[in-house]
Amino acid sequence: MSAAATLLPLAVVIPIGGAVISPLIARLHRTLPLIVGMIAMTGSVLVLIPPAGQVYSGSGHVVVHFFSAEHPVHGKLLGIAFAADPFGMMFALLAAGLGGLLLLSLLSEFGGLGEREIGGLACLVQLLLAALIGAALTADTVNLFVWFEVAALASYGLAGFFLERPIALEAAFKILVLTSIAGFAVFVGAGLLYSKQGALSFAQLHNSLLGGDSRVDLVALALLIAGFGTKAGIAPFHGWLPDAHTPVPGGISALFSGLMVDLGIVAIARLTLQVYGAGSGHAMLGLVTGLGITSALLGAIMALAQDDLKRLLAWDTVSQMGLLLTGFGSGTEEGVGGAAFQLVSHGLFKALLFLCAGSVVHSTGLTKLSEIGGLARRRPVVTAAFTVGALSISGVPGFSGYASLSLIHAGLEDQPVIHALALIAQVITVAALARATWLGFYRRREEEYEQLERTPIGMRVALFVVGAACIVFGIFPSEFVDRVVGPAASILLDPSGYSHAVLAGSGTVPVSTLVFDYGKASDLITTAIEIAIGLLVAVIYLRIREPRPVTWLRRLHTGSVNDYAAYLAGGIALAAGILLGG
Amino acid sequence: MIVANYVAAGILFCIGLLTVLTRRNLIKIVLGLSLMEASTYLLMVSMAYRRHSTAPVLTSPPDGKSFADLVHGDVADPVLQNFCLTAIVIGVAVTAVFLSAAVRVAQHYRSVDADDMTALTG
Repeated sequence: MSAAATLLPLAVVIPIGGAVISPLIARLHRTLPLIVGMIAMTGSVLVLIPPAGQVYSGSGHVVVHFFSAEHPVHGKLLGIAFAADPFGMMFALLAAGLGGLLLLSLLSEFGGLGEREIGGLACLVQLLLAALIGAALTADTVNLFVWFEVAALASYGLAGFFLERPIALEAAFKILVLTSIAGFAVFVGAGLLYSKQGALSFAQLHNSLLGGDSRVDLVALALLIAGFGTKAGIAPFHGWLPDAHTPVPGGISALFSGLMVDLGIVAIARLTLQVYGAGSGHAMLGLVTGLGITSALLGAIMALAQDDLKRLLAWDTVSQMGLLLTGFGSGTEEGVGGAAFQLVSHGLFKALLFLCAGSVVHSTGLTKLSEIGGLARRRPVVTAAFTVGALSISGVPGFSGYASLSLIHAGLEDQPVIHALALIAQVITVAALARATWLGFYRRREEEYEQLERTPIGMRVALFVVGAACIVFGIFPSEFVDRVVGPAASILLDPSGYSHAVLAGSGTVPVSTLVFDYGKASDLITTAIEIAIGLLVAVIYLRIREPRPVTWLRRLHTGSVNDYAAYLAGGIALAAGILLGG
Repeated sequence: MIVANYVAAGILFCIGLLTVLTRRNLIKIVLGLSLMEASTYLLMVSMAYRRHSTAPVLTSPPDGKSFADLVHGDVADPVLQNFCLTAIVIGVAVTAVFLSAAVRVAQHYRSVDADDMTALTG
């Protein structure tokens, strides 16, 4: 165990400390929670840097810290451990860095709130970020469940925090019910897996699962996928997601969409690829791909049909999470690497888009696309930022989505049907974002706005940094693929290597062969065709009445919490059926 | 393992789920979720049990048992019981949040009917 590894727990402890101190110190002065929060998140990034240096040196390393020095004995590990591999470290750094920026933006937007409120807000945000960092670094199922619940508790608080709009209560109740059921699924899944295999740590579980999966293991896997799928907003477990994003401020939506839902994706990727293993040959990867592509299509179609700007972006999150799962489910190095890259790109561009949407709502007081418009002339900076986000999401070369989307599509080439459906989902996504950008920003609006407030300085800083990051990742993706994404994909696809490394306390990641070629003509042509068709679909959709199938899909989302819980329960049964039948 | 407990846990879980799926009263939904939660605890504790085993306290063996018996695993599985305790603590916090949300809903909407809270659709 290296000295740098002992820093890993601090990356979680510091934000939790900040979360405890913020509400107390807010009584002294209302700017103090902002200062404490920024110190905590900066501290968290700084303590991650030495271990990250080790993780990304050479072809990649796994750095492990055993809590209370409880080292594995004869390959058995019951103590809690943090194992930073290139994949987990990538998400931990994203959560700490982007999370700090979002905290800055949120607290400067709501600097006028009372002391108690601002302290509580800072506390909840830091708690959520601590849970995300913990979930990225943890190496066992129970610890993962605990971080899941910590993130869930923080998200309940954040969803119901701003009660000027009573629908926030409705959203909070839905997220409470669905995430609670998901929590039971994860809890029972982890418990079943332990009682069958006698192991909690991913490494030991993988070794004992090599002997073949019994029916109990498959039921446990179905419960875990459903539970984390709910957190990730994967269809049919997604009922809470669009509702929870609609009434909350932009910064909180950005936090939910850019970072929190990824917890579910990271957990599913780890459980399927590193614990059960891509080579185990049962229906698992098929289930993950199927859930993924369904969400990708459903989310894209529903996004195209929305009138509320933030709800549109939330539906797009459902779509993007589906695409991520499809990438991880492909089990190929390109697909998994592309999905890992997209995890970062999506975090950045979705945070950017939600911050813009939040800024629009903050300054105009309007939320519907049909009511806003003409912001390009009145709010050029926000418009530019939103455009950067929309271009990134569409996969335009030079922005952060291009490389990750190209890699995911390359990884799907062996599965022509899934590949075609993924391309269709991408076309609809382009159309949805093009429609939103046109209606909200570039369309002419003759009458002046009743109110048009200034964007707070912290929000502008966050917009600028996140927008710049989208462009930097877009211009220099090859470096990032070589150093970070490639090792992340190779450790995800090498479960035995991962388990050896964790049980030995450290280990090396196999050399990745993943490369990204910016000038590949077929990718550029596909992207150009996708965007052209997407724009055409957007133009057509603006002129026609809502097609019947879209209306049917909208009617399925009744808004009733009972129905959403029924979809979730049905989804669990379906997942278990597929795994047991396959 | 105790089969009767597994069956009981399954039935309790289903009753709770049925409540969540069919009742519109928010308080009843919360009660249904609590029932589901309790059934998972029963399942965990039953999975931890082994035939003729004692509580996982390893310091002073009960009458008729030697220390060696305990070391050789003649105790209930402490890991699952720990797991269960963690979940109970989390469950208390979640129920508190649930009920405070229900109180807020009752104050705002003057109703605890889930069908009055369907402004967010599609």
